[in-house]
Amino acid sequence: MVRRDELTSLERIATALQYKKPDRVPVAPLVCGASHRVLGTSYDKWSMDADLATRSLLAAHEIIGFDSFLTLVDLSVEAYDFGQEVVFPKNSTAYTETSNPLIKTVEDYYKLTPINPRETTRMSMVIDMCAGLSKARGKDTAVIGFVYGPLGVLSQLRGHERMFVDCIRHPEAILHAVEVLTEVLIEYAKAQIEAGAHAICIDTLYASGSIMSKRMWEKFEGPFAKRIADAIRAAGVTVLLHNCGNKIYFDVQEKWCNPTAISHAYPSDDCADWDEHARKWGKKIVTIGYSVPSDTGIMMSPEEIMEDCRKQIETFKDCDGGFILATGCEFPPNGNLLSAIAMVNASKTYGRYS
Amino acid sequence: MSELKDKLFQELSDAVVDMDEDKTVATSHRVIEEGIDAYEAIENGLAHGMDRVGELFDQEEYFIPEVLMSSDAMYAGVEVLKPHLKATEQGEKTKVVIGVVEGDTHDIGKNLVKIMLETSGFEVIDLGRDIPPQQFVDKATEVGAQIIGLATLMTTTMDGMHEVIRILEQKNIRSQFKVMIGGGPISQAFADKIGADSYAVNAADAVRKARKLVS
Repeated sequence: MVRRDELTSLERIATALQYKKPDRVPVAPLVCGASHRVLGTSYDKWSMDADLATRSLLAAHEIIGFDSFLTLVDLSVEAYDFGQEVVFPKNSTAYTETSNPLIKTVEDYYKLTPINPRETTRMSMVIDMCAGLSKARGKDTAVIGFVYGPLGVLSQLRGHERMFVDCIRHPEAILHAVEVLTEVLIEYAKAQIEAGAHAICIDTLYASGSIMSKRMWEKFEGPFAKRIADAIRAAGVTVLLHNCGNKIYFDVQEKWCNPTAISHAYPSDDCADWDEHARKWGKKIVTIGYSVPSDTGIMMSPEEIMEDCRKQIETFKDCDGGFILATGCEFPPNGNLLSAIAMVNASKTYGRYS
Repeated sequence: MSELKDKLFQELSDAVVDMDEDKTVATSHRVIEEGIDAYEAIENGLAHGMDRVGELFDQEEYFIPEVLMSSDAMYAGVEVLKPHLKATEQGEKTKVVIGVVEGDTHDIGKNLVKIMLETSGFEVIDLGRDIPPQQFVDKATEVGAQIIGLATLMTTTMDGMHEVIRILEQKNIRSQFKVMIGGGPISQAFADKIGADSYAVNAADAVRKARKLVS
């Protein structure tokens, strides 16, 4: 028999982030873009309309019962506001048109100028989403804002490959641009907090062994991500990171950002598997993970998801309550919403702490 | 001559590893000036260097930026040497048709696989990104490819991979091609589900799997 919850979703998340045991393992399937299907709207409209996106997320929450909202729209949001061309497919995630990058030459890095996120089209949409979600459910459900890290945003403006090569050939140009972006992202994070976000999640995707060396990440993003993290903490809310890369660098992300939790899809680069990760990092930085999104959203049956989640809960059971059951990256926008419900059911069935 | 040849090949290989495009170009010109065979210089110099880069990538000494820089250096040298290749030296290679499936334009993973396959002796026909399923089948049939490589980073476009296999089956030509898939949301379970022949975790793995598929 499934017991009644004793805490609100917000209390459950907050308790876990403080390494105290809540009534049960909090659960956050990272249903973001997938919510557009709940209201029956198209993805392109959802991606540009704060009210529509907010109502979609609220409806998804009502159906699924997850413990936190995440205001991830897609990774092109910040770049769009700097003037980058973005493609908005009707039924898929929006993306930057990297064959037509805003930064076409090395000189263009130096032409990047600050913008006010509150006066933009898409960053202000996310700010409004924070406000709408906070007003509707902020008293009982966690609202987590989202900021793509400065190197991530820069890659959207230049194209990933070109930016990676420029990191070696033209490091000063990269550092100049990242400096400009960092100030904007700090304001963006602050605006989401002012709108009611309980925490901000910075996406530090490139701090990953599948992308670049630690040394390179520490040069081009670590110190800048630190400034954003410090500003978030100074504004009084919790710093979370998201990184769905393989072999992610927990050590340098801890060093620069000191996050309370990391949303991740793979174990840290210094751990062979999840068991080792839970032993080594589980009591230092709360794991938000680690269901494989495509397997969970597209491949598995609800029964298989329940069993998969049970194993994850078991893996992190000795972490003093510091674990949030989630997908390792955004829930597939085309995924089966029953799968997200299965994750919530797994928490209620297998995630009781007492 | 043999000593000079070995020295220049080593210089080419080292320049690729050192990501030194100027050096690969200068040394490639020197190779031609000295009357050394261009094909050998590519195989034993530039490609040898890229093999070392692949090993460094596998050992996590090099990462994506370094691989891209090294491949730029290699291709710059190849451009110098290519006009001097004798037709008979360009033997038959295993052909791989590769691309990012329709609806997706994230192509860095596909590009890395292309680089690594080319330097490992495969002939890669790169269709680019946002490629309709039928186009993979048509091109693979046209060029007589042995392998079709499909990439995607998005869950919303994963089914395009399945569609390629469906078309191959409908045309009764599935057995003519090995289908290899990869990308962020892809897993062995998904490969098994759609009946792909192989799933590669990364570019280095793609080379290993491609060799296995045609061995």
